[in-house]
Amino acid sequence: MAAESEAPPRAHFDPTRDTEFGVPDLGRTVRVVGTVINVDREETPHPKVRRGEVGKALFNYTRNSVAVDPLGRTNSPFRSRDAGNFFTTALGQAPNGTMNPVRTPVDDPAAMTRHIKRVGRYLGADIVGIGKAHPALLYGGGSLDDGGYTLAGATDAESPQELCRKYPYVIVTPVAWDYALAQAHRHHIGDAAYDTTLMQTILVLTALERYIKELGYSALRGRVNPQAAALAAGVGELGRNGLIITAQFGARIHLNDAILTDLPLEAGKPVDLGVEDFCKICRKCAETCPTNSITFEGKQVFNGIEKYKIKWETCYKLRPLVADYWNVCLTCSTVCPYTKPNVWWRTLALRTLTTTPIRLRPIVVRGLKWIDDRFWGKTPSRRVRWLGYDSGIKPGVKACTVAGCSAQHGDSNRPVGLSPSANVGYYAPLKENTNRFAKR
Amino acid sequence: MRFPWPSRRREHDPYWERFIHRAPADPNNLITHAFKAVKPGGVNPVRGEIHSPDVMTSHVKELGRFFGADQVAVVQLGHSSELPFAIVCGLRSEYDTRTTPGVGGQAPALKGLFVSFNLVAYIKELGYRASRSMDDAERLAVIGSVGRQGPELHIAEVIRTDLPLQPDIQEQASV
Repeated sequence: MAAESEAPPRAHFDPTRDTEFGVPDLGRTVRVVGTVINVDREETPHPKVRRGEVGKALFNYTRNSVAVDPLGRTNSPFRSRDAGNFFTTALGQAPNGTMNPVRTPVDDPAAMTRHIKRVGRYLGADIVGIGKAHPALLYGGGSLDDGGYTLAGATDAESPQELCRKYPYVIVTPVAWDYALAQAHRHHIGDAAYDTTLMQTILVLTALERYIKELGYSALRGRVNPQAAALAAGVGELGRNGLIITAQFGARIHLNDAILTDLPLEAGKPVDLGVEDFCKICRKCAETCPTNSITFEGKQVFNGIEKYKIKWETCYKLRPLVADYWNVCLTCSTVCPYTKPNVWWRTLALRTLTTTPIRLRPIVVRGLKWIDDRFWGKTPSRRVRWLGYDSGIKPGVKACTVAGCSAQHGDSNRPVGLSPSANVGYYAPLKENTNRFAKR
Repeated sequence: MRFPWPSRRREHDPYWERFIHRAPADPNNLITHAFKAVKPGGVNPVRGEIHSPDVMTSHVKELGRFFGADQVAVVQLGHSSELPFAIVCGLRSEYDTRTTPGVGGQAPALKGLFVSFNLVAYIKELGYRASRSMDDAERLAVIGSVGRQGPELHIAEVIRTDLPLQPDIQEQASV
């Protein structure tokens, strides 16, 4: 921190200086309360982990590990055996298109907004959000990672303020992962659901980016913090678990990046889904988090932004320890009461909450949480069978439980380590690794 | 369940026709075109444990649907001995991808590419050979009862593989 004062001033948003933009409206869950330094992409968790700044174990995990599971080798950049078998890397190798010199005139931004939303959904996004760009939402610096991000029409020298003047809109296109499969989180089944939607989100973003270029407008990726963009666009609200919670899917959406564009559009507004009221009382994610990375306490002000701050280092440090059994934990997303199938009773519960006056919402929240604990349990533990996988088998035990399979799987062709109750998956005890993190 | 009265009419979208029908000025803005430059990944030298052929067929079909296919069929090829099975995937579409060169018109092909690529990647990671190509795709789709390429169905690239599968149907060598 001491070195920071000697370094040249970093790009930042100062509410008292940048009155032109005003304080961004990010809804009730996140408030900008002071000067926001534009974080460089290289300072975000993934690059830090890849550079080895979070320890050797994680460095090895991201650089030198290969997934045990064949499906895991095809859907994770960290754990592939041959990067040519990972769709997103392959997509990054495909040559970029150029911007169409003939611009499509846009007379009615509202019609173009409807069009882009329809296009995004047509290409495979589950939600398409359009928000107003704001300097506080942007990354600083200009370095790009090796994931195939493209820069069109911008140089690294442009400040976030200049970028927002030139490219006034952000687009996010999240894809939701399957509810039933993610019930087997902390398992290869949950990994498949989660990692496949990451590939799909990047595919939609790339396709939409190229379509905007084809319309004759700029589309910049790797410039905007996607969570902040999702808040500004009204896709959802930020929960205690540090995830964007949406109206339709809860916390089971994959945001990867956002598109910054000068295509004339109409920006959406932040939404109120009652997340602010719910997270104050619920704490289910904080109780179940195996690494205690989610706070039980109130919001913090970090980098000028008031929000629930998660301890991402401890969250990451679980991964190399469990790499042989699963890739992503997802407990906080799965246990969240908002994460439910997108059906009528979920809509009814959400509407009940959002139509209640804010002062009376704690009563509704307590009622809804009681129902959630009663019917879905305090920890997610449903047994899921998908392809040859079975979340009822203890992780690491080789066993084939596929009915009718006559193949010889060696000596371990018997179901071993099955949970006593046929419907319970092997997730317990969820907190087995907690002490490792509490003692450090 | 479908109600007999029509749903709310979609507001007019003046850009939709262009999205579907106009070929991009730079063909690389079409991912399916740009993707032709991508080199295929390698086959895992260590073969993984697999289930019996009938189970593997059901798994490949389920995985195809998971990646976005609507129909998947396995056809045993009559002539090739090296890669004896063809996996044919069909995706529902609203336009005929052969006549709609726009970014939107080619969207089913993009989704088809995602399915084929990932199925090939999975089979290669299991340690078996697999390749994807459009050769004979439409004919094999008819043989496998997936359907005919047209305005309602897009046939994705066919995957030819030596992964032991139980075919739905055998292609006649003489056809």
